Amino acid sequence: MSKNFYHYPVWVRLWHVMNAILCLFLIVTGFSMLYSNPDNGLVVGFKRAVSIHNVSGILLTVSYTLFLFGNLFTSNGRHYLLAMKGAGKRLWQQGYYYVYGYFKGQKAPYPVDGEHKFNPLQQVSYVGVMYLILPMLFVTGWAMMFPEFILKKFLRFSGIFLTDQFHVILGFLVVIFLFIHLYVSTMGKSPLSNFRSIITGWQESH
Amino acid sequence: MDLNKFSFYFLFSVLLISPAGAFPLQEKPGEEKKQLSLYAADNEKNCLICHGKLVYTITDTVSGVTMKRMMSEQNVINPEIFYKSVHWSFNCLDCHAEGFKSFPHPLEARFESGWNCLDCHGNDPNYAQYKFEEIDAEYRRSIHYTATEGLFTCWDCHDAHYYNPLARQDSSSRDQIFKLNEMCLRCHGNPDIMGMISDKGLDKVLPKHEWLPNVERHLQAVRCLDCHTRMTDSVLVAQEIVPADSAVKNCTDCHNKNSILMGTLYKYASKENRDEKGFVNGVIFNNDSYVIGANHSKFITLTGKIIIGMTLAFALMHIIFRMIIRPIKRYNE
Repeated sequence: MSKNFYHYPVWVRLWHVMNAILCLFLIVTGFSMLYSNPDNGLVVGFKRAVSIHNVSGILLTVSYTLFLFGNLFTSNGRHYLLAMKGAGKRLWQQGYYYVYGYFKGQKAPYPVDGEHKFNPLQQVSYVGVMYLILPMLFVTGWAMMFPEFILKKFLRFSGIFLTDQFHVILGFLVVIFLFIHLYVSTMGKSPLSNFRSIITGWQESH
Repeated sequence: MDLNKFSFYFLFSVLLISPAGAFPLQEKPGEEKKQLSLYAADNEKNCLICHGKLVYTITDTVSGVTMKRMMSEQNVINPEIFYKSVHWSFNCLDCHAEGFKSFPHPLEARFESGWNCLDCHGNDPNYAQYKFEEIDAEYRRSIHYTATEGLFTCWDCHDAHYYNPLARQDSSSRDQIFKLNEMCLRCHGNPDIMGMISDKGLDKVLPKHEWLPNVERHLQAVRCLDCHTRMTDSVLVAQEIVPADSAVKNCTDCHNKNSILMGTLYKYASKENRDEKGFVNGVIFNNDSYVIGANHSKFITLTGKIIIGMTLAFALMHIIFRMIIRPIKRYNE
């Protein structure tokens, strides 16, 4: 018998949908800026892609700030606190479950309960994306809008070039995270149960 | 009172007294400027009567004989250009020695110690945005200063009578490059002038650039400063001219995505866009400083594609296994 837990309050769901839409815009326009040429605008023409990318980036910074405040002042923040002791063992157990145990019909080693809405792998990846990758994306993205603050040279490289490439690498990491995030979301009680929970707020244990 | 303080109070009082202070300078046509110029009438009557054209007239006060003479070219001030310059509102004697009031000019007046830019513009918050102190520091490190022991001054390139920043002029970048390079070639293309400041005489400019492929195209499209200065981010136009043997000589210093030029151009275009159109219009919506493919590193994008591909392949395999074991799982349940 599965239990339901109210893990996604309204503000988290609103932030999540905003985050998802803006990330999609940023990824599509980011790829357009990276691969389009004067004859081929990909999904969005280059010039329009630049504008949409800039607007989405600024809005994402705002929504991220709200998320940070939400985590600071509500209990949602506790899900993003990593416990280092025994972390390696927990990550191994969860990884083993995804790759092997799941197919053997084993029980999830860290099921959702009242205290935990993320398993150890999810927790590490969410903390990495939210507290490491996104802030660095914001810093590099804003720096390219105010390039006078960028170092002229770092080691033997142009500061602009490095900032730019770092931004692109971080963008790729977010794309990879998004694919894994979407796929792992299908591994709930049923393939759609996790998608339902981010809409209703109630998460089903399995 | 030291010279800087004096200059500040002087300029401040001039701005207060001058009717020009009440009007934005950029919007006035030359003729109006003449009318507004402080002591304009005196200028016309005095200095510019002779120094405003190549031919001047003198009268012998004893015999009454009048004759025409040619003015030395370097002492002629073109009033049309002067009144369009940033210093248009000044009277000649605001900057030149009082001795020039009398005619014929006494010899000692010719030994006047001229003002330099920092005497008026240095350490003044009103001019902070132009970074005169940093420009001065760069100039003092430049070969122009070190090789001439300071005899070379701002005026040798930037004539105070005609100074009008190129960046504020509505001309194409090609025109601006031409004007900037003309500034360098005024001396470096003229054996007489070079002979005056250097015993070595003039090394011809063009032959020294023959190693460049498409030399003419380079000289039309690139400012001398782009290769012959040490660029910094803080000053818009670099002033630290380096010795000829330290100039940029590697093609890849410019023709490369990781180049100094690329970085400098991006910063320049982006800042100009923002200053001109504001953050919303200049940066967010019409940021012309982005260049298609400029951030396209083949290695990084290929690695990104491979990792994304591997992620998707792994997910696909996982899905296939899930579909295979699904009936078994259901049966067990």
